[in-house]
Amino acid sequence: MNFAFDEEQVSLGDTVARLLADHPALVGPDLDQAAPTVWQALAELGLFMLLVPEEQGGAGLAPIDLTLAVEALGGSLAPAGVIATLLATDLIVQHGTPAQRDTLLPQIAGGDLRFAVALYEADRDFDPATLGAAVDGGVLNASKIAVADAAAAQMLLVIARGRDGMGCYLVPADVAGVTITPHEDIDPTAGLCAVRFDGVKLDESALLGAPGLAIARLIDTAASLHAALLTGIASRMLDTAIEYAKTREQFGQPIGSFQALKHRCADMAVSLDSARSATYYAVWAASENASDRARAASMAKAYAGDVARQICNEAIQLHGGMGFTWDLALHRFLRRAKVIEHAFGSTAWHNERLLQETLAMLAAEDEAGRAAA
Amino acid sequence: MDFNYSPAETEFRLSLRAWLADALPKGWGETVFLPSDEHEQAMFRLDWERKLYAGGWAGINWPKEYGGRGATLIERGIFAEEMARARAPEPINVIGHNLTGTTILAHGTEAQKKRFLPKILSTEEVWCQGFSEPNAGSDLASVRTRAELKGDKFIVNGQKIWTSFGQYSQWCFALVRTNPNVPKHKGLSFLLIDMKSPGITLRPLRQISGEYEFNETFFDNVEVPAENIVGDIDGGWKIAMTTLTYERGPEDALGRQIRFKQELDQLLRTLVRHQRGAGHAIDEPAVRQKLAKSIAEIEIVRLNALRSFSKLESGGDRGADASMTKLYWSHAAQNMYEVAMDALGPIAPLSGSDPQAAALGKFQMSWFQSKAFTIYSGSSEIQRNIIGERVLGLPR
Repeated sequence: MNFAFDEEQVSLGDTVARLLADHPALVGPDLDQAAPTVWQALAELGLFMLLVPEEQGGAGLAPIDLTLAVEALGGSLAPAGVIATLLATDLIVQHGTPAQRDTLLPQIAGGDLRFAVALYEADRDFDPATLGAAVDGGVLNASKIAVADAAAAQMLLVIARGRDGMGCYLVPADVAGVTITPHEDIDPTAGLCAVRFDGVKLDESALLGAPGLAIARLIDTAASLHAALLTGIASRMLDTAIEYAKTREQFGQPIGSFQALKHRCADMAVSLDSARSATYYAVWAASENASDRARAASMAKAYAGDVARQICNEAIQLHGGMGFTWDLALHRFLRRAKVIEHAFGSTAWHNERLLQETLAMLAAEDEAGRAAA
Repeated sequence: MDFNYSPAETEFRLSLRAWLADALPKGWGETVFLPSDEHEQAMFRLDWERKLYAGGWAGINWPKEYGGRGATLIERGIFAEEMARARAPEPINVIGHNLTGTTILAHGTEAQKKRFLPKILSTEEVWCQGFSEPNAGSDLASVRTRAELKGDKFIVNGQKIWTSFGQYSQWCFALVRTNPNVPKHKGLSFLLIDMKSPGITLRPLRQISGEYEFNETFFDNVEVPAENIVGDIDGGWKIAMTTLTYERGPEDALGRQIRFKQELDQLLRTLVRHQRGAGHAIDEPAVRQKLAKSIAEIEIVRLNALRSFSKLESGGDRGADASMTKLYWSHAAQNMYEVAMDALGPIAPLSGSDPQAAALGKFQMSWFQSKAFTIYSGSSEIQRNIIGERVLGLPR
């Protein structure tokens, strides 16, 4: 039992953070400033080969090894396609057929295959079981929304109901019947798109993993790693707020000396630290396929969602009028955090799932107790 | 990062689990509970601590030479999980274990360690804490209880307050003023005082729960042997800070989490069974959201403690982190008991032995008790000052 990251995990996080710091446009105030070389730089660093097994040319690491790197992606507002590609990699490693692994993983390792995850639909809720997308006779029909970074992706991971249940399907972005339309939305830099699939023909190799199982892993891994993106954003906003509280003077003294602000900073620090405990445990549970994977994932996503919301709001408040200006760019973190809060299950949805998982655990304990008696 | 346990750690867990199954009364937590009378309950809990000691389960991570088990903090974490699982009673000598023992281990003389530590573990000596005074609460360094060194004795005069478990204690550690002519932090000493000494009077204080856990303690020309000082004369502030670091630290939080987790699980089981309308109390959507948040927060109390353990095991310092630990668990637990009251709905005000009360009124009693969590061991406001200034580096 050891609840600490090792040197290599820490160093990987630092390396990714430093690389992203070389792309200041990522966190600049304007929403149309792309940082087109970031993807290539991350690929050259080797980020995309880390989760790929050694036999396909990767480093064979697990999600837990990348946790601090993912926090850095969050805090630097890295393109959404990065996390989508890491999630798809994990899913192919865990659930792909040998053919899928041999074809896709080497391309991913080289940074040549960028993914987007097509999950939600405008008239359904956050529960994947309720989705209307369907694969019937090898043909996909679906109307998805909020597909992050879809316009830049070469491959779409589409969640749809097939003959044997809810499945994950690999659909190249450029096949006939796929229409990608950017949304107008609160964070244009997340690249949210509406994606229509009209009679898209899929072959047998499109289905990734067993229906039910693959989507469960995707949701849990995505929730855990999105919690890490959120702690990354919250950490960056808290650092910014504290720095400002130390230097901004009013009434002849730094505003951070006033308890009204000092105490809120303390509360934020404690919340952030706690969100990290939940998040790190969840990413570990996903990496190990622990029996409480789903419960841990929902706990982390719901909790980190609340904390990121609190810290983004408080950080803007603490900056006063400056916080509300476009140029200070705090709005970039506010926007992205809100998008992530609603990706892969909202706080309310994960809370409900956490309660259900907990009640099921207690019922199983009681059952075991009765069996023993 | 690895939450898998080694074979030795698993062996530790299984042998503890087997011991607990034998040691607790049959039907414990199902049909057999703690006595409801406050004094009988205290006697029961003291008896349970003696049982733990006899079984070799006291002082899990204390050195073997002073009667401890010499185990790791990780095993201490396992110990807490198993106590929660078995719904084991809370100990009363927590102040002896978590505060006196740790402080003497850190700053005591060899003679003090040999004299005091084994009797804490065996529960022969229960301890209470003499820090707060009527005029020294959050401003602890302004304590006025006076100790004058005369020959080989200190003569102690003054008053302490909020002395929890004073009525069950054989010993008290106290922060006293040995020098009134220097800045307030620099004239304090840390004394170990025998509660049987002539001149000590206890007056029980009633709490908002109706219980009498804490007291006022009066010292009237109480003689304390000079060798019962921990650290240097006038050097008591530093010693007291060590005590506070342990009082607010992860071991303490994990011990408390055992009870919070037990009661949260009991609440959930109660709500699943308690009929309301066509369904059950658990079905209320607004309550479900709050319950989930409390489940997360109580679990995070445990995760935060385990994370601190790993930092300490790899040589990290105890320090202002302890204030983060304490601030978090106290509010998490307080919220949880508010949620419990919300969730119970119309029966929420029914307490004690009322036939309609849930779980023998446990949630109502804990709800009252939880109001103290954010006040004792340093109020939340003091913890926030410490975190703001010493962790975040904000100006004073």
